[in-house]
Order: sequence, then structure tokens, then C-alpha cells
Amino acid sequence: MPKKQQRNILLPTNEDTTGPYFPIYFSDESYEDLTQIHSGVVAGPKGQHIILRGRVLDRNGNLANGVLLEFWQANAKGIYRNPSFEDHPDLDPWFDGYGRLRSTTGEYSFRTILPGASPGRAPNITVTIFSDGINRIVTQIFFANQKANKTDPLLTTLDDEDRERLIARFDESSSDGTDFYTLDIVMAGDQETPFFEDFLS
Amino acid sequence: MMNSMGRKLAIGETDNTSDQRTPRKRLRSIPNTVRESFVPVVPARAIHRQNEWDLTRIAPNRPRAEGSPIEVKGTLRNENGTLLRGALIEIWNANHHGRYRHVEDNSGLKIDENFLGMGRVITDECGSYCFRTISPGAYLARPDIGRWRPKHIHLSISCGTSRLVTQMYFPDEPNNASDPMAILMGDSFDRNLGQLFETKDVEIDQSYEFNIVVGGKNATFFE
Repeated sequence: MPKKQQRNILLPTNEDTTGPYFPIYFSDESYEDLTQIHSGVVAGPKGQHIILRGRVLDRNGNLANGVLLEFWQANAKGIYRNPSFEDHPDLDPWFDGYGRLRSTTGEYSFRTILPGASPGRAPNITVTIFSDGINRIVTQIFFANQKANKTDPLLTTLDDEDRERLIARFDESSSDGTDFYTLDIVMAGDQETPFFEDFLS
Repeated sequence: MMNSMGRKLAIGETDNTSDQRTPRKRLRSIPNTVRESFVPVVPARAIHRQNEWDLTRIAPNRPRAEGSPIEVKGTLRNENGTLLRGALIEIWNANHHGRYRHVEDNSGLKIDENFLGMGRVITDECGSYCFRTISPGAYLARPDIGRWRPKHIHLSISCGTSRLVTQMYFPDEPNNASDPMAILMGDSFDRNLGQLFETKDVEIDQSYEFNIVVGGKNATFFE
């Protein structure tokens, strides 16, 4: 019997919107700053500290208030903490790679480390948006000045305009050595950010 | 062309936010070689407090909140039928009057001093969960056209590669039929309904079974 038929395929519960009131009460600071394990502990992952920031905008160019953003990335060596890399020697004990923050205004600022390039890829961060009015949507954000952007197998599926919409621009380095990258995410409209099908694919 | 493969997301009728925020372009396909990078793994270090399974009271020794106390229980699985153990379920619902205790809820509806409306539970070794809350009030979402949001409970589920944000609705509620998101679900709306079942527990008025299945490829990617 084919493997598929041995499985007990259940019908999924429908996704739904988060509504406007995802509880701020559920926030966890350690998910909002991945450069430290906790503000009271002298320990953190290896890698270039960055702040990825920008605005989440709606179809009219207004800020999308109350969005919940989740981030997923590889560590500085390009290794993800997922079952494929279990016990990999380059896993960083101080880095899980999962972040989450709720933005009251629609502006976001996420402190993390610059992800390394995983095999065949350009450095990137997967971003999931939960919001009022929509179900979960997903994309990946890349970084300016990375040579591998030209050959990344995801970026190269897009036309020039859409590719640019996924590449965060480098702004500045702060005096403490943090690099600032900026990207606006446009949920709908002419400047719409490309979003990807990860539910059925 | 591979970019024609993804879903075109539908816009919720009479939902202004849905109109403003729903991507208009079809979702793009993900090349197989990079598919794995789209599977976040939520670390298993969920924060919750011991009494958070019972939203009917702020704390065990405090008075019960206004309205009808209910219980919601069920199992959590992914599409393959795998039980999701140790999953974090974050719960939030409006109080008896339809008000959230959220700093951005400016509805002016009544706050109940004895109701927080937010809780967290962890599924047990059998993938089961149970919580108590107050039956939420419906509230007027669009006063201009008289559209109400039906009674609902928000649930956010995180368990490794399984991630779901959903809402549980209540059977036979008149406002279900006009809810924009319920309309988009079509016949599968039934899957988001809690099912009444008998209980002898005198602490609660109604008990609902809500078995949750986290769908999508991410939830089963590494199985």
C-alpha cells in the first residue's frame, strides 16, 4: 500500500483571523530579541547583531495596527534548529531562531543576528503575519549586499520588482556595532509584497 | 508557470479590515529545494501559569465572573492524526458583555472586574486539553450595517512545526450565518463549531467538545 494511504488524513480546523486583540499579555521578551537568551544572563548567540525594522502597510498605505509577526531563521552558520539538523555540530546553544512580536502601531523592530546562508541559499528570515481580517500569510525577507541574492532559488522565481520587495535595505551601523536593515511589508495593493503558499505545497 | 499554483485568498464580505489587508495576488509557489526553510519550529518553552486553565475567575479564591461558565475540551492532532502533546494553547475571549480586557478595545462595553479573558493551557500526554471560561458575548462589529460578531473564542496553537490561529464558534447562533470569516469557510465551518455534550459538573453550565486538527504541510513536514 502506498505510504499516503496508510496515513490517517484528518480534515483540518479552519484557520481564522487573530482579530484585533491578540493579547499583549502573552508577549515574551525573549522572543523579541534573539541576541540574548535573557536580559539578566551574559550569554548570547554568535553572529552580527542586526535590527530588522519597517512598517506593515495595508492596501491604502496605512499602518496595519495590531499585527502579530513571527520570525524563523537559521543561526550565524546557516543551521536551522529543526529535525533535519538535529545534533548538528554548528547548532548554537544560545539560538533557537524563532521570534514573535505584536506591533501595536504596525511598525516593527526585531533584534536578532544576521542569519548565515544555509546550503544553496541567500541569508533570509521567514516572516509569518497574523492579523485581523486575514489568516496567516508568509514570506521570506533577504538582506541587501548579499552576493547569493542573485542565485537564491526562491528569489530567482520572482521578477525584478518583486525580488526588490523582499530585500531589506542596509541603513546604518550603530556605535555598538548593530547593523540596521529596513523593509516595509505591504499586505495588499500595487506595491504588494510577494507572499508564498506553504499550506498546500 | 509555478506562480499560478498558490491559493488566491478570499476577502471577507462586509469586513473592512479584510479588504484592506488581504493580498490580491495569488500566493506564490515555493520551490521544493527551499520548502523546508518555510517550516518554523516553535521552541518548547511555553510560559503559562497554573490557574490559567480557568478563565472564569481571576484567581482560584476570587469571585466568579459574570455570565455563564462553560468548559471547552478536546484533542489536538495534526492532519496525519498524530496527537500533539505538550502543545501551547493560548486562549482569549470577550467577557459576558462582549468586551475584551485589551488596552486597544475602545468599544466602551462593560468591563467585568472578575474576568481577565486570557489564558494558556498545555496539552497532556494524550494530546488533550481542557479549559473553562465565561460564554463570550456577541458584539456589534459594524454598527452602520448592524452586523454582529457571533460568540467566539480565539485559540492560538504552537507545537513544534504545528501552528494554528483559529476561533471556536457556538452551534445555533443566529449571527454565525453573517460572519465574514464563517462565510468564507463554507461547509467546513462545522469544523470550527464546539459541540455540546452532557456534563454533570455543577461548576459549569455547558460543556463543549472542540477537537482541533492543525492542517497544512508544515504541521507534518518532518514526520
